[in-house]
Amino acid sequence: MRFGIWKLTLVLLPFFAGCGREDGQLREAKKNVVMIEVTAQIWDYRLPWNPGTVSSSRGAGFVIEGNRILTNAHVISGARYITVQREADPRKYPGKVLHVAHDCDLALVEVQDPEFFKGTTALSLGGMPDLESVVSVYGFPIGGDRLSVTRGVVSRIDYNSYTHSGRESHLAIQIDAAINPGNSGGPVMQSDKVVGVAFQGFRGDVAQNVGYMIPTPVIRRFLKDVEDGHYDHYVDIAIRWMPLENPAMRKYLHRPNDGLGVVVTDIFSEGSSDGMLKKEDVLLSIDGHPIESDGSVRLDGQPVQLEEIVERKFAGDQVELEVWRKQALEKVALTLRPAEMFSMYENLYEEAPRYVLYGGLVFQPLTSNLMAGLLGAADLRLRQTYALFGQDQLYRETPEPVILSSVLPDRLNVYLGGMAGQIVREINGRRIRTLADVIPALESGGERTVIRFEGDQRPAVLKKSEVDRVMPRIMAQYGIKETSRTEVNGRRLAKGSFSEEKPK
Amino acid sequence: MNRVWMIFLLGWVTIGMAAGPADESSRGSLVRIRASIQPYDQFRPWQKKAPFGLNGTGVVLPGGKVLATAALVENRTEVGLEKPGSAEKCAAEVEAIDYEANLALLKPTDPDFLKGFAGMGIGTALRSGDKAEVWQLERNGELLRNQAEILSTGVGRYPSDEAGFLVYGVRVSLPKRDDSYMLPLVRNSQLAGIMMGYDRDSQEGSAIPVPMIEHFLKDAADGKYEGFPTLGVSWSPLRDPNLREEVLAPKSGGVLLTRVNPRGTAGRAGLMEGDVLLSVDGFKLDEDGNYRDALYGPTAVGNLIRTRPTVGSPAKFHISRQGREMDLAGVYDRKAREEVAIPTLQYDVPPKYVVVGGLVFQELTGTYLQEWGEKWSERAPQRLVQLFTFQNEKRPDPEKKVVFLSQVLPSPITLGYLQLSGLVLEKLNGREVHSLQELAERVDRADSGDLVFEFTDDPGKLVLDAAEVRAVQEKIGKDYNLPALRRL
Repeated sequence: MRFGIWKLTLVLLPFFAGCGREDGQLREAKKNVVMIEVTAQIWDYRLPWNPGTVSSSRGAGFVIEGNRILTNAHVISGARYITVQREADPRKYPGKVLHVAHDCDLALVEVQDPEFFKGTTALSLGGMPDLESVVSVYGFPIGGDRLSVTRGVVSRIDYNSYTHSGRESHLAIQIDAAINPGNSGGPVMQSDKVVGVAFQGFRGDVAQNVGYMIPTPVIRRFLKDVEDGHYDHYVDIAIRWMPLENPAMRKYLHRPNDGLGVVVTDIFSEGSSDGMLKKEDVLLSIDGHPIESDGSVRLDGQPVQLEEIVERKFAGDQVELEVWRKQALEKVALTLRPAEMFSMYENLYEEAPRYVLYGGLVFQPLTSNLMAGLLGAADLRLRQTYALFGQDQLYRETPEPVILSSVLPDRLNVYLGGMAGQIVREINGRRIRTLADVIPALESGGERTVIRFEGDQRPAVLKKSEVDRVMPRIMAQYGIKETSRTEVNGRRLAKGSFSEEKPK
Repeated sequence: MNRVWMIFLLGWVTIGMAAGPADESSRGSLVRIRASIQPYDQFRPWQKKAPFGLNGTGVVLPGGKVLATAALVENRTEVGLEKPGSAEKCAAEVEAIDYEANLALLKPTDPDFLKGFAGMGIGTALRSGDKAEVWQLERNGELLRNQAEILSTGVGRYPSDEAGFLVYGVRVSLPKRDDSYMLPLVRNSQLAGIMMGYDRDSQEGSAIPVPMIEHFLKDAADGKYEGFPTLGVSWSPLRDPNLREEVLAPKSGGVLLTRVNPRGTAGRAGLMEGDVLLSVDGFKLDEDGNYRDALYGPTAVGNLIRTRPTVGSPAKFHISRQGREMDLAGVYDRKAREEVAIPTLQYDVPPKYVVVGGLVFQELTGTYLQEWGEKWSERAPQRLVQLFTFQNEKRPDPEKKVVFLSQVLPSPITLGYLQLSGLVLEKLNGREVHSLQELAERVDRADSGDLVFEFTDDPGKLVLDAAEVRAVQEKIGKDYNLPALRRL
């Protein structure tokens, strides 16, 4: 999922186009751009009980109003210790994450010591830069410790995937400034305003002179969202639609050939449109903006995808749609909410991995981190369940598929070694739909625990009394302190819309 | 899936050799096979790919027929025989072919071409440790004899088979020579096997053993080739004492059936998922699924049920069901392999397709999926991979073929549909579609009105106007130089 794209920090080339002037912008940048050094701990999903690997990295950020430092989420992900340092001030100040939004790769960092902010002026946010206009990128890339700046032009304004979260796409601006591996989170400036935050690029062997920045509508949305002291997730209209370009299709839906409207092809249950929109609805306008047949709307004179209207809203906001349904016009107001059913595809950073250990068998919920950790151990059935989980709305039945992620070898489970990677269907006759089902199911049943898997795999059978007896041995052997970690904390999960069946 | 095997064979490299003197007894038993191969292009089903040649060393059997591997002659346009030591040639016909067992029987079109060839007799089965020779032909027709040793005998993978057959592991150092796509394994001047794969690095190869060859020849003898039987089950070893207790297995032996195809030999004999299979035709199975073979010792059950019996012969099973032992009887067949919605093997069979106003529909086969390359299960459209891989669950009814939209040829009426591909067709105008033939007929019958195609996946529905389809069909054929707008 992260095909050649990688997180990067942008750098200013040590080269100024001829003039060598120290203009207002550079002066402002020197005052407000900061270097952020982070010691992070990354959970290991193959050993979910371990505290994880410690690593250090460096990124950029900049001071905005309210003595806050804006940077990328991926700069501070999993941070255990943060220091912030200003250009031309050797002191390193301890910092703390105030808010993090992994879905749009932004974060706010605070520094307690007021001394740090002496001489800073706070950069202010501008608007959307024009295509081909020149922007400057500030940061601290590898190759030196001083502030660096590069200059480029705005090459493209479009939706792009935000690789940090693994599943999100938002508005992004492509620039042609030279970009080197180093520090993300630096400001991209035009005159004395920030027009974006540098955040990702391509590897040199894929494309050259392609860098991406997060534009100000996304930044403003983030800053507004955290005003209540809490970051909510992006909301999603949670439908699929198809451009309505084919004349026969238009005729079938009784639409004139006027180049307007897209057709709804799927509605995700549990999403904002669940029960509100229907397949074959033709969407004609969104919040009063007419929808072209390719799905674009005009926003500030620029064509953008219709989702951009939704992108700028918050959980609980409404969006008004004009819908052509059964040959009649209807108005539909959707109350927007995050698409929690797809949260499985998000890369997780802060949340400690959840698991249940039973006789050396490790059960974990299916997450993108686990899939990455399983690598070759994921068989075709598991890979397909993962790939089709959203598309087939498998979350309705199993909001969180539970995987036998590994078998820690012990005398007890010598015959179960090859079974890792299987999807658990039921334990002791109880259907397993989320990790929370596992412990009660293991405690139920008779003297033998019977674990059944999807497909034509044999069941795993363990004697309860033996498991109880050897658990201390296994935990000592493998250095595991807790038999399980199941708290969901703040994590958003699909609810599942299956009808609850009575246990037999 | 398994084309790797060919590559081993094509990549001969000289790493030492053990040549023996030419032997008069070899004359009259080997013939060069020159095959011209041209597979169909599954992505452009109206055409074939570029042709290429394969050369092997065939075994002349007493009676004048020639034994070859199926991989050497599958998807052929032409097969020729050439005498060693002269360039005299003759075309050959394929009389019987078994793609799973990788064996083919060729017959020269000129009945006198192999006159004077005594042929090579079929020898006895070998065991591991036995010595043999792999024979190659020099350019001048002289024989090159390479000392070989049988390393292993057991059930293993064949190039085009999922379940496995008996195979010899052979250690031999083979020099690079022409006509080495297949080579005879010989012992005492009698055929002991056919080398079908070789890895030049480890100097190990695999050979089709005599019991397989005998089974094939016996089956082919009556002119009606039936193939090797299958059981139609998935099974799991039953060593785990906890599992044995859970399924109430007897004290020892037997394997657990985890899936039983109701159409297969076992399913029709009454075996069920969850049964413990204790013995087959009187051969006891151990907990790992091995029986004790008189010749090879402990051998996987696959050999017992595939190589030994023939299609139509009686099958006897002894099972334990929920702790109760019983005998079940049936007849060996291949229905679990042949009566399927999505066939695996489609060599020498042109892919079916229908073009409807620029929408190209095809019927799903394993061969189509393999066209996506070695990593087909990751690269091909996931819905197609799912239906194929889990067809026991997803498409158990063999009559319900999988028709899918493979691509869209831009035409005046496919505007807005161009990027679509890999979509499984469920319905046309509200009624299910179960084969490409049916789709074609129903499109033909629709003179006017909408053609509403419904698919499993997004975008779910596409609409064409039947009259417009009719009007553009000829133009599409012309614009894209299609030899035909359908093949059914």
